[in-house]
Amino acid sequence: MKKIALLLLTLGMVFVAGVCFGQPKGDLVVCQAAEVNALDTAKHNSITDINYANEVFDMLYYRDGQGIPQPRLALSHKVIDDTTWEFKLRKGVKFHNGIVMTAKDVKFSIDRMTDPQTKAFFAPYYTTIKEVKVVDDSTIQIMTKGPDPLLLKRLSMNLYVFPSDLLKEKGAETFFQNPVGTGPFKFVSWTRNDRMILEANEGYWDGAPKVKRLIIRPVPEAATRLAELQTGNADIITNIPPFLVPQMKVSPNVTVQSIPSGRVMFLYINCLAEGPLKNKKIRQALNYAVDKKAIIDNILTGSGIPMAVNLTPYHFGYDPSLKPYPYDPGMAKKLLAEAGYAKGLKLVFNTPSGRYLLDKEVSQAIAGMYNAVGIETDMKAHEWGSYTQILTAKRLQDIGFIGWGNTLHDADGNFQPYFTPESVFSYYSTPPLADKINKARTTLDEKKRFELYKEIQKEVYEEAPLVFLYQQIDHYGVSKKISGFQVRGDEQFVLYKVSK
Amino acid sequence: MRRDLGGVRKDLNLIDVGKGTAKGERILKLKKQFRRIPKAAALIILLLLVCAIFSPLIAPHDPIKQNLANALKPPFWQKGGSMGNILGTDNLGRDILSRIIYGARISVIVGFAGVLFSGILGTFLGVIAGYFGGKIDAVIMRLTDIMLSLPYILIAIAIIGAIGPGLTNIIIVLGITQWVGYTRIIRFEAMSLSKSEFIEMAVISGTRWSRILLVHILPNVLNSAVVLGTLDVGKMIIFEAALSFLGLGVKPPTASWGGMLADGRIYLTFAWWLATFPGIAIAITVLGGNLLGDWLRDELDPRHQLKA
Amino acid sequence: MGAYIVRRLLQSIIVIFGVIIITFVISRVLGDPVTLLLPPEATPEQRAYLTRDLGLDRPLYIQLVVYVGKVLKGDFGQSFRHQEPAMKLLLDRVPASLYLSLIATLISVCIALPLGIISAIKRGTIFDQVGMTLALLGQSIPAFWAGIMLILLFAVQLGWFPPSGYGGLKHVILPALTLALFFSAATARLTRSSILDVLDMDYVRYARLKGVPEFVVIMRHVLRNTFITILNIVALQLGLLLGGAVITEFIFSWPGIGRLSLDAIYNRDYPVIQATVVVAASFFVVINLLVDIIYSATDPRVSRK
Repeated sequence: MKKIALLLLTLGMVFVAGVCFGQPKGDLVVCQAAEVNALDTAKHNSITDINYANEVFDMLYYRDGQGIPQPRLALSHKVIDDTTWEFKLRKGVKFHNGIVMTAKDVKFSIDRMTDPQTKAFFAPYYTTIKEVKVVDDSTIQIMTKGPDPLLLKRLSMNLYVFPSDLLKEKGAETFFQNPVGTGPFKFVSWTRNDRMILEANEGYWDGAPKVKRLIIRPVPEAATRLAELQTGNADIITNIPPFLVPQMKVSPNVTVQSIPSGRVMFLYINCLAEGPLKNKKIRQALNYAVDKKAIIDNILTGSGIPMAVNLTPYHFGYDPSLKPYPYDPGMAKKLLAEAGYAKGLKLVFNTPSGRYLLDKEVSQAIAGMYNAVGIETDMKAHEWGSYTQILTAKRLQDIGFIGWGNTLHDADGNFQPYFTPESVFSYYSTPPLADKINKARTTLDEKKRFELYKEIQKEVYEEAPLVFLYQQIDHYGVSKKISGFQVRGDEQFVLYKVSK
Repeated sequence: MRRDLGGVRKDLNLIDVGKGTAKGERILKLKKQFRRIPKAAALIILLLLVCAIFSPLIAPHDPIKQNLANALKPPFWQKGGSMGNILGTDNLGRDILSRIIYGARISVIVGFAGVLFSGILGTFLGVIAGYFGGKIDAVIMRLTDIMLSLPYILIAIAIIGAIGPGLTNIIIVLGITQWVGYTRIIRFEAMSLSKSEFIEMAVISGTRWSRILLVHILPNVLNSAVVLGTLDVGKMIIFEAALSFLGLGVKPPTASWGGMLADGRIYLTFAWWLATFPGIAIAITVLGGNLLGDWLRDELDPRHQLKA
Repeated sequence: MGAYIVRRLLQSIIVIFGVIIITFVISRVLGDPVTLLLPPEATPEQRAYLTRDLGLDRPLYIQLVVYVGKVLKGDFGQSFRHQEPAMKLLLDRVPASLYLSLIATLISVCIALPLGIISAIKRGTIFDQVGMTLALLGQSIPAFWAGIMLILLFAVQLGWFPPSGYGGLKHVILPALTLALFFSAATARLTRSSILDVLDMDYVRYARLKGVPEFVVIMRHVLRNTFITILNIVALQLGLLLGGAVITEFIFSWPGIGRLSLDAIYNRDYPVIQATVVVAASFFVVINLLVDIIYSATDPRVSRK
């Protein structure tokens, strides 16, 4: 009798242990700097939004840390002709409400984002998509307007798959009050500016999350974010300014993860307006006059990597053979003299204020370096809204500090907006350059594209339509209590593999 | 207390000597008045003016000279600090003490010009509202209601967005948004004054309203206006800091306490001296202004004279 | 009296109307919001579509008329950025702001009233001078400095309170203290001066001459007469708190109105800006109306000409 009881007890314990250790457990708390805009992914416009959506929904493809699209809801793709792509979908994936995901959901979701009536913020990224066709329940075809080498990357850019019947039935506004997707976490609740609560979707097709709940909180003040981590209230904190890193490193129970970012910082030059800045030599002088290392070491506490052109290794098409402009004030003065400005030059230097990490400070440092080579600067600090309006109306005076985030992990995303005349953000363009850029974005052959970008980069480097500065380094604070978290260079995070 | 007044015997107590003589009485009165001047406030304001006017002579360094390799050095009493930069350096290697001394200029200009602009506008409107009453009063009062309801930041961004950043435009923003504080109180006083027999007699005897306003009412409300003004100087400086937070402050690299405060905020837990010293400078100036204003209020209030 | 009230009511409506129109004008001066609502890669067609959809392509006066018409029906439109009704966004924040402001006011009053009263009574003594200097310092300390220091001390070092976030008493204490710092200082000084004004009144002297104990003098005569003034001060502070806690809300990640309106201004989210301003205006106008009515009913000096 006793033996049976003991056996039962042991079995019971093993069973309970198995259940306990297999179950997701714990709350994972993430503190970001900004708040999610809206639960409706069509209203999304920033990484903060994307990070919420990545937990609740899936896309056909998702880019890995190096920017290569990995199949998620899609299993494979086939290029049928220059403008037709066929995708095989994963079978048996269930939405949080139990419905199985099929091709019609994919078509509906993509159509919704490309529909002008939806006014999706990221719609400009999908303009190449002409039509989505359902072939069968697990096969779709996408027709593009022209050859689009970036289609897979576009499909991994905020194009989430929703349950079409449910979304149609409820209408977008009601549906997104309690969004349903196929993602690793289910939506529970959201209080704007306070917290979002998600809970584990144990039936997730890629394996159940290891934590029971995910709580995402916006905490705008960096010092407060750090305090949350140090008090154990938060497990992961994002966007830590580099000078707080030493403090974090000596905090008990805290580790720091740093990674180069895909975000590039540079100075805009208005090459459209009449004036000295139309002269290549002056622009090159502006590049030679900047001591990037001093800025990175002293202002950014080492948190930056000098750039040759406005690309990083994360971007497809990046050519590592180009080296950044060296710091050479003598060369800068020589070029200024050759251009006829030996007596010096006067430029208006615009900068946003607090939009990017230490933007005003970096701008002032650069202004100081320009003063040292005889370029007088009139610094104007702007509030971000006004600055954007000035830039897009092409009213920028002379030069301005700006950053550019990584969108598609592709050189196209950094060159097209800046060097093609049809872009509102462009202050420089030559017909051959614009032609090459447009050719590169419509050539399916990767090798050919790479060659094109090599040529484009060389020209951009030579012509110096921007003052190339640095690539940022991002820092995250991570509690020692968790494991399995790996930062990415695109500021996104994947949390269902993290355990506490 | 023994004082040498040239020729007077030093061993005698002055009060005893002075009693009874006209000169002695005058000296007595002066001494009493001197004792009443708020020493602390006067000292602070003196310090402020000296810093503002004589900055190039007092400041140890050029406030806008950058020295990147010397960035974020702590004050001299901390490890890593040096006597070369007594209060440390900011994130561009500029000397904090020099920037605070030069920053006094901006604070003085912003404080006084802002108070002048808003004070004159507010007092003017208050006097008119109080004296004429009726529809004019109603319009002005409703105008103050409107001004109070509009967020300061909204107006600031709109104005500066339209006319551009810079010191003059900041003063314009301050003037346009802060006059309301004067109007209500001045209006109340002007109203009471207008009811007084003196004014009624002036009206009856045919004095023109412009003369009544200028000669009789205005000088009497000036007391309150001045008191309010001194109390407001600090507020102007703090508002300039708020504008700096938004990126609407004075042009970089000009040193202003508000700008230093705003820029130093993110460094607070790491390089506390960037924000703390300008904060202390602002606090002391506000203290000085308020002490002066309180003293003025006590001095100019006829009721309190009795207690002196 | 009745005619006065009616007149003031009419004027109040005009004020709110004025605020609506001025906010509209200011919003348009702030520039085109479409640039901020689309990525830089947006095509001109997409910009045109959004401009048309938001009704921003129509002439200004038509926009104004449409807008005013909607507002009169209580419809402030959809937030440009969040695709939720602007007023709903605002009203969702009110409980949090109210909670924080009330606790902050409570703390302020508990500190400021006794401080102000005692300073007034013991006027000129060391207590008065030290007290008022402390109050002045409290008014001069920047909110973010106080907030971050409180977090470092009480949350990180001592661990008594959470560093940020919305919640019960534990969560509201630090932000409320930060706000209370400034407002108790201001309230203490205002309390002191209004009590001083009353203390000099003849009837107080008369009571003293009669031999009434000092304590009774204070309690019965002084406090009763300053009650309305102090109430006025507290009410105005409360009003200011509701809109002016932006920095504190930022530091403590408190989901209040201040942060919402700042973000709206930053993002050129006109419907939300307009909703916030109109609500703030209504609040002020109502308070002023009440105060003016009370004053004109009780103070014979403030009569209509």
